[in-house]
Amino acid sequence: MFKILAACGAGVNSSHQIKDALETEMKNRGYDVQCDAVMVKDITEDMIGNYDLFTPISKTDLGFNISIPEVDAGPILYRMPAMAKPVYDQVEEAIKNS
Amino acid sequence: MTQIVDFANSIFKPLIDLGAAPLMMIVLTLIALIFRVKFSKALEGGIKLAIALTAIGSVIGILTTTFQSALTAFVKSTGISLSVTDVGWAPLATITWGSPYTLFFLMIMLIVNLIMLVWNKTNTLDVDIFDIWHLSFIGLLTMFFGANIFIATILVVFVGILKIINSDLMKPTFNDLMGAPESNPMTTTHMNYMMNPFIMIFDKIFDVLFPWLDRFDFDAATLNRKIGFWGSKFAIGIYLGIFIGLLSHQGMKEIFVLSFTAAFTLELFSIIGSWFIAAVEPLSQGITDFANSKLEGRELNVGLDWPFLAGRAEIWAAANVLAPIMLLEALVLPGNKILPLGGIIAMGVTPALLVVTRGKIIRMIVIGTIELPLFLWAGTLSAPFITQTAKAVGAFPKGLSASTLISHSTMEGPIEKFLAYLVGNASKGQIEFIIYAILALAAYLLVFMWYAHEMKKRNIAYKEAAEAK
Repeated sequence: MFKILAACGAGVNSSHQIKDALETEMKNRGYDVQCDAVMVKDITEDMIGNYDLFTPISKTDLGFNISIPEVDAGPILYRMPAMAKPVYDQVEEAIKNS
Repeated sequence: MTQIVDFANSIFKPLIDLGAAPLMMIVLTLIALIFRVKFSKALEGGIKLAIALTAIGSVIGILTTTFQSALTAFVKSTGISLSVTDVGWAPLATITWGSPYTLFFLMIMLIVNLIMLVWNKTNTLDVDIFDIWHLSFIGLLTMFFGANIFIATILVVFVGILKIINSDLMKPTFNDLMGAPESNPMTTTHMNYMMNPFIMIFDKIFDVLFPWLDRFDFDAATLNRKIGFWGSKFAIGIYLGIFIGLLSHQGMKEIFVLSFTAAFTLELFSIIGSWFIAAVEPLSQGITDFANSKLEGRELNVGLDWPFLAGRAEIWAAANVLAPIMLLEALVLPGNKILPLGGIIAMGVTPALLVVTRGKIIRMIVIGTIELPLFLWAGTLSAPFITQTAKAVGAFPKGLSASTLISHSTMEGPIEKFLAYLVGNASKGQIEFIIYAILALAAYLLVFMWYAHEMKKRNIAYKEAAEAK
């Protein structure tokens, strides 16, 4: 199981779109992933250590070094498949490298 | 005319009599089908909205029922009459989405956005369908205060157009704050940024009088890391349970009940919030596909929900520092009736502060402190409307006393709520209100135009800096 952490303001809207899109697309590509959506504010160093990949909307300053790989997932929110594809490819790459 | 109304009633009355949740399930499913969403997806969205509406009602019930006697005792022992329960954004969004008018305002704003794009008045396609509830709230509030649907729609369109123009004005600042290249299409029409003009007035005063204060800016990310879980939703529920419990002289056992109840209801509100955002998801995709098909591949900026800026630590540091400040303000502010709880982390306040000050944290906190009373007053002003609407959609427990009110302490768009109040009352024909409404709308527009002018200067400076590189 490959674990992904998505984050946004309230942990309910943008990050949930990213979560749903990544889970659906990675399942279609044959990978077993689980993505959690949280508030940026609630991320701690301990929490992020439990995940394999961090997929914020854009550059995110958490006040500590992020110890896991990161992929900017913002383009998923544009709702245009062609723009989301590079994000999916990068996530797939990260799964393969793990 | 009466025949048409009678005919419409004969169709809609039985549907409306079913109650808000089944009605909205049917309406949302049908609208999604019109935008060519697959039937199963459309129905899935409709059902999710219905269960979110039902769930939010029960959780509001648990929160308000548990706190009712403690709050009454709180008022008695402290003499502070803060009778409005602050339930935060999720119940308000759910209640607003429980009104069919929200879908009507959504359709109107989709048409306005497309016309503005075709006429090259904007470069932003707004795909943040869910947040239409902020505008719809203004429209419904205007009607609550006495306007008809026509006047309410005009106010909604007026504010809606300014919001879209604002998304273009802020675009280069977003790139700057995110460190993103020019090609990045993210922007937002979010209502909270309609406070920018007001904030900019104070930012300019700061430039002249207190620029030396900027030297005390501290590292926001470090502060947030130190606060850790102490600033999370459930922790805040615990503090407020203890706070109200102690001041209302409850026993140890009751204080624990209050604390844990506040904590779990605040957590549940946002979980339920995520259901109905998921409910609108198929419709959002359908509308985006439709709009893109009409625009034939034109390169556009995309209007999203605000949190692509949530990675900036200043938003959270300012919200953390403003939370206790707001609690103190709420206790002493004349005319305020809200005791901050669900909205105490002011996400509807701090993003605009970040955009105008561009991350000067001391300014964000000082200007935030100055503007928070507007949010508390606007929340107090809207409380009767919110409570009535919650009752209408069945999201309000029956056992509560008639005087119990709910609201949101930091809902985006406080100034627009005052406009709704004035325009609504003016519609009833009272001459004073007509004059006030006209003056207020003129002032609102003028300040926005001044702000637009300042933002254009800022954007030229960005452009020159990019060319100089």
